[in-house]
Amino acid sequence: MDQQGTETDPHDLDGSRRRFLVGSSRLAMLAGLVAGYGAFGRIAARFLYPAHAEPRQWQFVADLKRLHTGESLRYVAPTGEPVAITRRGNRGDSSDFVALSSTCPHLGCQVHWQAQEDRFFCPCHNGVFDPSGKATAGPPADAGQSLARYPLKVERGLLFIEVPVERVVRGDGRPRAGGRA
Amino acid sequence: MNSLGSWLGQRLPLDKLDLRELTNEPVPYHLKRWWFALGGTPAYLFVVQIVTGILLAFYYQPAPSTAYNSVRYITEEASYGWYIRSMHKWGATLMIAAVVLHQMRVYFTGAYRKPREINWMVGMLLLICTLMIGFTGYSLVFEQLSYWGATVGANIADAVPVVGGLAKRMLLGGDRYNANTLARFYIIHAAVLPVTLAALVATHIAIIRLQGVSEMQFKDEDPSRPRSFNFFPDHLYTELIMGLALMILLSALATIAPAEMGPPADPLSTPEVIKPEWFFYVAFRWLKLFSGSAAVLSMGAVVALMFGWPFIDAFIRRRSRFQEASVWIGILGVLAILGLTVWEALVAH
Amino acid sequence: MTLEFKRWIIAILGGLFLVSLILVQALETSRRRQEAGLTTPQVNVPAASKECVDCHAEGNPGIVEHWRGSTHAEKGVACIDCHQAEKGDADGFEHYGAHMATVVTPLDCARCHPAENEEFAKSHHAAAGNILASLDNFLAETVEGSRIPFSPHSPTVGRQVDMVDGMASAASGCQQCHGSKVALRTTDGGKITMDDLKPDAKGKPTNIALLETVLRDPEDGRPLYDPASWPNTGIGRLNLDGSRGSCSACHSRHDFSPRRARQPENCGKCHLGPDHPQKEIYDESKHGVAYRDLRDQLNLDAKDWVLGRDYAAAPTCATCHMSGNTRNGGRVTHDPGERISWTNRPPVSLVMDTDADHAVVKEVDPEKRRALVADTAKDKRDRMQQVCEHCHSPDYVGSFYTQYDNLVILYNEKFAKPGQAIMGALLDNGLRTKTEFDEEVEWTWYFLWHHEGRRARHGASMMAPDYTHWHGMFEVADRFYMQLIPQAREVAAKAAAAGQVEAAAKVDAVIDGILSRPEHAWFKEGAEDQSAQIREQMEKRYGQGAPVQP
Repeated sequence: MDQQGTETDPHDLDGSRRRFLVGSSRLAMLAGLVAGYGAFGRIAARFLYPAHAEPRQWQFVADLKRLHTGESLRYVAPTGEPVAITRRGNRGDSSDFVALSSTCPHLGCQVHWQAQEDRFFCPCHNGVFDPSGKATAGPPADAGQSLARYPLKVERGLLFIEVPVERVVRGDGRPRAGGRA
Repeated sequence: MNSLGSWLGQRLPLDKLDLRELTNEPVPYHLKRWWFALGGTPAYLFVVQIVTGILLAFYYQPAPSTAYNSVRYITEEASYGWYIRSMHKWGATLMIAAVVLHQMRVYFTGAYRKPREINWMVGMLLLICTLMIGFTGYSLVFEQLSYWGATVGANIADAVPVVGGLAKRMLLGGDRYNANTLARFYIIHAAVLPVTLAALVATHIAIIRLQGVSEMQFKDEDPSRPRSFNFFPDHLYTELIMGLALMILLSALATIAPAEMGPPADPLSTPEVIKPEWFFYVAFRWLKLFSGSAAVLSMGAVVALMFGWPFIDAFIRRRSRFQEASVWIGILGVLAILGLTVWEALVAH
Repeated sequence: MTLEFKRWIIAILGGLFLVSLILVQALETSRRRQEAGLTTPQVNVPAASKECVDCHAEGNPGIVEHWRGSTHAEKGVACIDCHQAEKGDADGFEHYGAHMATVVTPLDCARCHPAENEEFAKSHHAAAGNILASLDNFLAETVEGSRIPFSPHSPTVGRQVDMVDGMASAASGCQQCHGSKVALRTTDGGKITMDDLKPDAKGKPTNIALLETVLRDPEDGRPLYDPASWPNTGIGRLNLDGSRGSCSACHSRHDFSPRRARQPENCGKCHLGPDHPQKEIYDESKHGVAYRDLRDQLNLDAKDWVLGRDYAAAPTCATCHMSGNTRNGGRVTHDPGERISWTNRPPVSLVMDTDADHAVVKEVDPEKRRALVADTAKDKRDRMQQVCEHCHSPDYVGSFYTQYDNLVILYNEKFAKPGQAIMGALLDNGLRTKTEFDEEVEWTWYFLWHHEGRRARHGASMMAPDYTHWHGMFEVADRFYMQLIPQAREVAAKAAAAGQVEAAAKVDAVIDGILSRPEHAWFKEGAEDQSAQIREQMEKRYGQGAPVQP
């Protein structure tokens, strides 16, 4: 709280050293302000961005012994989304299987499997997909879209799929934990 | 650059010189002393509260069934949610503390005296507004203490003769805490009171600008020193320093003592020990000393006395030889408030 | 304060603010990391079982809540996956559009856990139901109860009792641990068990005609079980599909918690009491004491729970007998007999050289024996010692086993084999009937080996000195010298008086032969010299006036 606190008139100054000092202190001040409040802004933005990605989880599908080569089954993910799982080989690992979303990539209708034609068919705009999910005709083929695939794994002879899951909550909002609360 | 300037100038006819004059109010020299900057502190904290409050409002859900959970979500799951919430909580604490300190400074320097009586009263309204924001905000967490604090608060209002019942029903949206209450508290906390507060702050500052800041001359000062200095950039720098210091302090408080979650509100069981936020300790202890309407009315009388103090003080100075009576009364008042607060803080019931 | 100075202060404070926010970020990161480890996995109801869960959550929230906490729920294994039945299953029925069965058997579990099922099926646990056809069961069914229902002794106030179910003690006692023979009721009042259904290897009944006779609930068509046979989670349960056992004996439904199976309390449902107090023995041992103290450090929720990697604070029953450890590559076994080198169950302990069917080989000829033995007692002991050596040195472990072996052999040679010889002599010479428990000496002998003898041996096997000595060998000795020998002598004397002189002499000869051996000599001749020696020692140690046993 000294007496020389008022702004020194810039006209009194000459010499580049003085100008440099004023310039660098301004720059430093600006840098300090930007660093501090900028970091705070980043934290605020991160706070607003969704904290969790869409939750996905490995779920049991079937016993390998019960799904023979060439057969397919309709698995319903906990979110309600149907998944067509087809067995196409007999090696006994996940490469035998293809798990295709039943949602047409064109406009979201439900495709279905036509066994005699060996294809998935979308009734909305006659979209056609081959067994691997690749579009072969209709609007999806024109756009080069394929049916979405879900990751699969085989553990101890059991087939598991990684699908989006819904959060089941109870009254106090915590995930159900039952005996392990 | 020039063409853009003229393009803007045509559409926003602002005169640079006018702007400079408007913003560059000469600041009285005594503001170089830090305790005179206490008025700017609550204003800065108010901005912090608005920013963090808006952030929190993105996740908060004002309904009894979801409120506690949404606060829990903010505290436990959202990224940095604990930090933002703790900033908001500590910001409120510091803001109230700064308002009280600012008021004490104004009081003990006699800055409320003619012609500034009206601004003192605007300041009193600001104090009440700030306390009410604190009260409603605390209730939103919907944990046990905040729920019972709100219930007790509403019933205190009920004890006011004639209008008490009306005030209580307006506050709670019913005869007792119900499904609509939390939404009311939320809107009062997040919209009604902040807007009121902003308007009052604007009035407060406008009046200061119209009258000029009261100037002080200290004995140890050189009388030949300049009477004022520039607001820009000198005083702005001071405010920036103060702002950053406050942010660091808030961050430190938020990390050292983050806001936590108490047990969720249970309308059927009152906790053994219930306490309001610290700034209501005075009132809480007062209510325990007296009963019912007597307590509420006497508290109202004290508030009324504070409101009218500039006139009472003028009356005393005019009619008696005790020119410095206000200082002694002020000291007694501060001691009483401190005493009641400490008393409430130390005992369980 | 110059403006420039203020600017520098702002710069520094801005930097400090940044530093404080970096600290905030560090806290957030560590919080996230900690949270990642703490959060309970989400539980999703698979579409196929959604209706079951919705309805049973109302009616039986306990079942559904238990399941929600299970690893099954986490991985999307739900009601239908275990309770599914196929057409032609004896206990299958239509239930809101699903074909299902109430009782889940090891064959159902084996759909996903084949290796566990295979190990279990070979274990002595799976054979626990054999007791139902054995002499042991004679106790509950005949001695304690009655094989045929009988009319009440007198009226019961407030309750109409027409007939007394003589099998109640077997149903609520023996079978709750050993397992029941699950039975369906028939329309003509009879019962159908696995014996009648004659299921094939896949569990499908071959005697299909019987299915028509199953008594069903008139409202929903569910088959009705014989209440004496179900509810039952006995470990050797004889199921309708021909499988043996119940996985929920240890992995209680409906959370099937490995955590619970890892704790000694779980085994303590059956392994306790006067005849085989393994749980109490464990509680007395240093192992049990450490468990109670350090339970929090046992990491019981770990996925694999490998000793030496996931925990090392204390051993539980599972640790030594079943769970994996770092020395065996973390391999869990569902056959607890794989690491047991003595069987202390029979009157005389046997060395656990087992054949391909996991039965103890009793062949005496060394050549033939070698051919029969598939898994030696030494192999079993090596497996157990791998566990021991996580906490004890090889010398320590080896010497412990010497102590244990010596106790078992002492019991075998001093009391069990002589006792067996005396009981055999009485039977062979017609001085007691074949029926067990109808003569006092049979109760005496049963107490000696089945209760006290096992307590002594089990106590030594798991380091509980009090069970080895006071509850064990002390009582064995008392039973042998003060009851078995006098009772056998008395039987012989009475027989001699009644004219069976030769038989009585043969029995007496056996007893005399035993008592003339040096280890029993003290009893016959008195042990005056030994007492004198002891008295001398006492006086040396404590001086004159030491108490003298009369």
